[in-house]
Amino acid sequence: MERRLTNRRNFLKLGIAAGTTAIITGGNSVLSAISEPDSKDGKETGEKIKLLTPDGKLVEVDKGHVCCQPAGNLEARQGLPDKRMVMVIDLAKCRNARKCLQGCQKMHFLPPHMEWIKFYLMRDSADMSPYWFPKPCLHCNNPPCVKVCPVGATFKRTDGIVLIDNDRCIGCKFCMAACPYSSRVFNWEEPKMDKKMNAAAYSPETSTPPKIGTVSKCDFCPDMVRKGELPACVTSCPNGVFYYGDKNEDAVTNGTDTVRFSDLIATRAAYRFMEELGTEPSVYYLPAVDRAFDYKVGFEGLSEEEIALYKTEANITE
Amino acid sequence: MYEDEKTQQNLYAFKPQLEKMSKKGVALVVFLLLVMGFGMYALYIQIVDGHIVTGMRDNVVWGLYIVNFIFFIGISYAGALISGILHLLRVPWRTPIIRMAEMITVISTMIGPAYILLCIGRLDRLPNLILFGRIQSPIIWDVIAISTYLSGSIIFLYLAMIRDLAILRDNPVKTARWRNPIYRFMAVRYKDSTKQKELLNVSTDLLSIVIIPLAILVHSVLAWIFGMTLRPGWHSTIFAPYFVIAAVYSGTGVLIMVMWVFRKVYHLESHITKIHFNYLGIIMIVLGAMYGYFTFSEYLTSWYGSIKWDMEVLFRLFNPSEYWHLFVFAVFIGVLVPIIIVTVPKFRNINSIAFAACIAVLALWVKRYLIIIPTLETPMLPIHDLRPEYVHYSATWVEWALTFAGIALFILLFYLFSKFIPIIPVVRSGEEKDYSRLRKIVFEKQMKKVIRQRKKSDVVVTGIIILLMIASTPRVIAQEEGPVQTVLKLEYFHIDSVQNLKATLRAKIDGRYMPLPGMEIGCKVLQGKTETPLGTNTTNDKGIATFAIPDEIIASGGDKGFYSFEASFSGKDNYDKALARTTMKPLRMEMSFFQKEGEKMVNLKAFEPGKNNEWIPVENLDVQFYVPRTFSLLKVGQAAITNGSASLEFPTSIPGNQLGYLTLVAKVEENDNYGNVEVSGTINWGKPLPPTKIIKRGLGDTDAPLWMVYTLIVLLSLVWFHYMYVIFTVFRIRHLGKT
Repeated sequence: MERRLTNRRNFLKLGIAAGTTAIITGGNSVLSAISEPDSKDGKETGEKIKLLTPDGKLVEVDKGHVCCQPAGNLEARQGLPDKRMVMVIDLAKCRNARKCLQGCQKMHFLPPHMEWIKFYLMRDSADMSPYWFPKPCLHCNNPPCVKVCPVGATFKRTDGIVLIDNDRCIGCKFCMAACPYSSRVFNWEEPKMDKKMNAAAYSPETSTPPKIGTVSKCDFCPDMVRKGELPACVTSCPNGVFYYGDKNEDAVTNGTDTVRFSDLIATRAAYRFMEELGTEPSVYYLPAVDRAFDYKVGFEGLSEEEIALYKTEANITE
Repeated sequence: MYEDEKTQQNLYAFKPQLEKMSKKGVALVVFLLLVMGFGMYALYIQIVDGHIVTGMRDNVVWGLYIVNFIFFIGISYAGALISGILHLLRVPWRTPIIRMAEMITVISTMIGPAYILLCIGRLDRLPNLILFGRIQSPIIWDVIAISTYLSGSIIFLYLAMIRDLAILRDNPVKTARWRNPIYRFMAVRYKDSTKQKELLNVSTDLLSIVIIPLAILVHSVLAWIFGMTLRPGWHSTIFAPYFVIAAVYSGTGVLIMVMWVFRKVYHLESHITKIHFNYLGIIMIVLGAMYGYFTFSEYLTSWYGSIKWDMEVLFRLFNPSEYWHLFVFAVFIGVLVPIIIVTVPKFRNINSIAFAACIAVLALWVKRYLIIIPTLETPMLPIHDLRPEYVHYSATWVEWALTFAGIALFILLFYLFSKFIPIIPVVRSGEEKDYSRLRKIVFEKQMKKVIRQRKKSDVVVTGIIILLMIASTPRVIAQEEGPVQTVLKLEYFHIDSVQNLKATLRAKIDGRYMPLPGMEIGCKVLQGKTETPLGTNTTNDKGIATFAIPDEIIASGGDKGFYSFEASFSGKDNYDKALARTTMKPLRMEMSFFQKEGEKMVNLKAFEPGKNNEWIPVENLDVQFYVPRTFSLLKVGQAAITNGSASLEFPTSIPGNQLGYLTLVAKVEENDNYGNVEVSGTINWGKPLPPTKIIKRGLGDTDAPLWMVYTLIVLLSLVWFHYMYVIFTVFRIRHLGKT
């Protein structure tokens, strides 16, 4: 497990830790965007890890120096250098288990009704068969929400992630009206959270603690990426539906399998949701062919009322 | 100055309005203040409890507030367009209604934006609009446009007031003496000299030219807030002109209503005549017809094109159980009834035209509701929510209270304003007909009426609605009992030069094995019958405790080259104890890169300890090759080692860093003899990563596209240059008055 702290990532972290050292400054201007960590955070753990410098040298650094805090509000506007985060969702394996949502809500301390991942029972037309469609924020490359924000509280980073700065958001909800995918939710009342969480330092990268009168949404977990860990939705899915990774590295993983992104989307005929809108999402869907489950399995554990609602939405009459 | 009979008569007729406030007037003010007070209470609730007290939810994010915002900005057109155009065209009958129109503009442009503030979740962060404003956002366009428009309207209204202020300065009001210095100050020493007259006329003309395109732009910007989104029902190219026409239509309607009210209240029958109602009525129905035409064009286009989402919105509008009735009212009744009333001579009189205006204004309010709500209720993905308030919008008492508070404020400001300056310009430009004979008769009638009315008293009734909030129920969390089964796993890792042991502790919780953090694990080396402890370590949040294997243990040669280790967990709290063992043999691997006939290759050599502790090549061993990626290792190939060596083609298509450096990891995994052994090497044979392109200017970026910046600067400086010129002219008028 620990070996997942891999060289490439550690090289990036070295940039964060070493900042101005001679090894790193060699021709990588993006790194300078990341500030040096507070010396207080850099606890010596005694555990050494190897890092790859841009010119291919391996150096050993104490692990405590490279583990980072979630970025502050201004720092979070910079993307993780050289990254382009993408997600691939395999619709053939989804059975509406909703473990991804539970994991997400637990990780971000969300109340039960606040859903950053939504589930739809899709049926494109009457002749077609219904399929389950989990939808996080699609992190568009041409995001309609970012365009309309009057104060730049929501922004697109170089690593492709669209984040919200809840300390800057004025709560005009224009981004919610502009998002064609209904990805955004609003904190209509004071978020009910335990005091410990409320006292925690806010970061747009963790999206916690949430703030009343501002907009929230799926944040693609950049704080986890910094740690080299996968978002909760990926790790909590029992069926490995969610693949997450860096397009620049040409690799995505669902926790158990790591595959080449380009191969996966080419061989499985991936598509992006509502491509015709020109929003250029960062989330790719693999069509629900050769399914692992019948769509009816997805009704398990749902209330009669909800099943009826899904059936209406998907136009299922039986 | 202004010694002519007409002006003096006007002054005589209007000054009582300024000097006295009737009981009815006081009652009205009290009532309006009560309505506003209730609105303030609603606002207080909204600020304390959050926007949860409104009917707005995640899908319908904008409700009555935005409807009212568009409505008030819409009626502000009355002043800008009606008075501006009538003034420029020198329409002779405009004088009595022009001030009302301008007042509508100023007051509604002040109230409108207040509604957008009500809709904002964090009022405390409004300064962010200036600190971090992005001119790519239509909201910033709106902020700039409305503030510019409001400034222009105030200047315009003021210019038109200067003559009357001068008259009031020369004929001081008797009761409220504190007002006289204000009149004197605001009259800027205007003495109606030829030069002053000329300056005033020029600046009024100039401003009415500026205010017309500005007004069109303001409402276009408002429409673009909706038009710029990809929403069905909003994303329409005709939205801007459609909003402009609808706005002038409703503005004219409100002007007619205001005329009717003041005509009754202040008995202006001799000033505001049937002619005014007829002419304005005709203007109104022409605008109404245009509004009908735009509506038809809009819905015909989306129905004919029949895009799925457009059809969903149309279906809602045409569905009798949803919005059909409102739609009929807003689109058919709101257009046809005013047209019939005004065009058929039999129906046409002052009251019926005012009624038609009422219908038009109401219909236009409903139309704004139909623009906002059904579209927001129809997102591109269905609203999957069991909570009805998230599916259908219905305004709460808070929103209604604030809506009525806004209307009350509108009336109040209008009323107070009419107490400060005559609602009809006292000084006439001499372009209109002589109503003096009629005026005398009416004045006598008025006096009789006033005496009669004073005998009556008024009763003010207010009502309060109380809502109860439901408390949330506490959750009960069940606790488990009995010893919890635990599993310990011990693995040997040999990574490059470091050798260590990893003990993973898991406990069966809810049928799943979950990592146990914070537990003490002991570890030891078993060599024959001797045991060498390696110490104890605490598991981390993944349930892993790591133990380094000291070099002297490896140097000892082990048990015929094999080494045995044991990890134990002695149990804690409810968790059961666990034990794990592993045995392994050292393996040495070496990775090298070479080129053969132009092909890039990786070579891997593997050795194990022989009988005499020397390194001998491994016979058969499967090795996996990986490339480290952010979260995990990407498998790029595998090879079987025979006679201590294996080769693999280097995966050159895998992206490396910017210089193409790529690390390759060779791994022996969970081998019965060797445990986990890995070795890595780095070379610049990967695909070089192209440098990140950082786009600085664009719709979605921090800085706006340059053309946008230039357009804004040019437009704003054009408008503000004129404002400045006009303000400068006012100072010149003041200066000229000294002599």
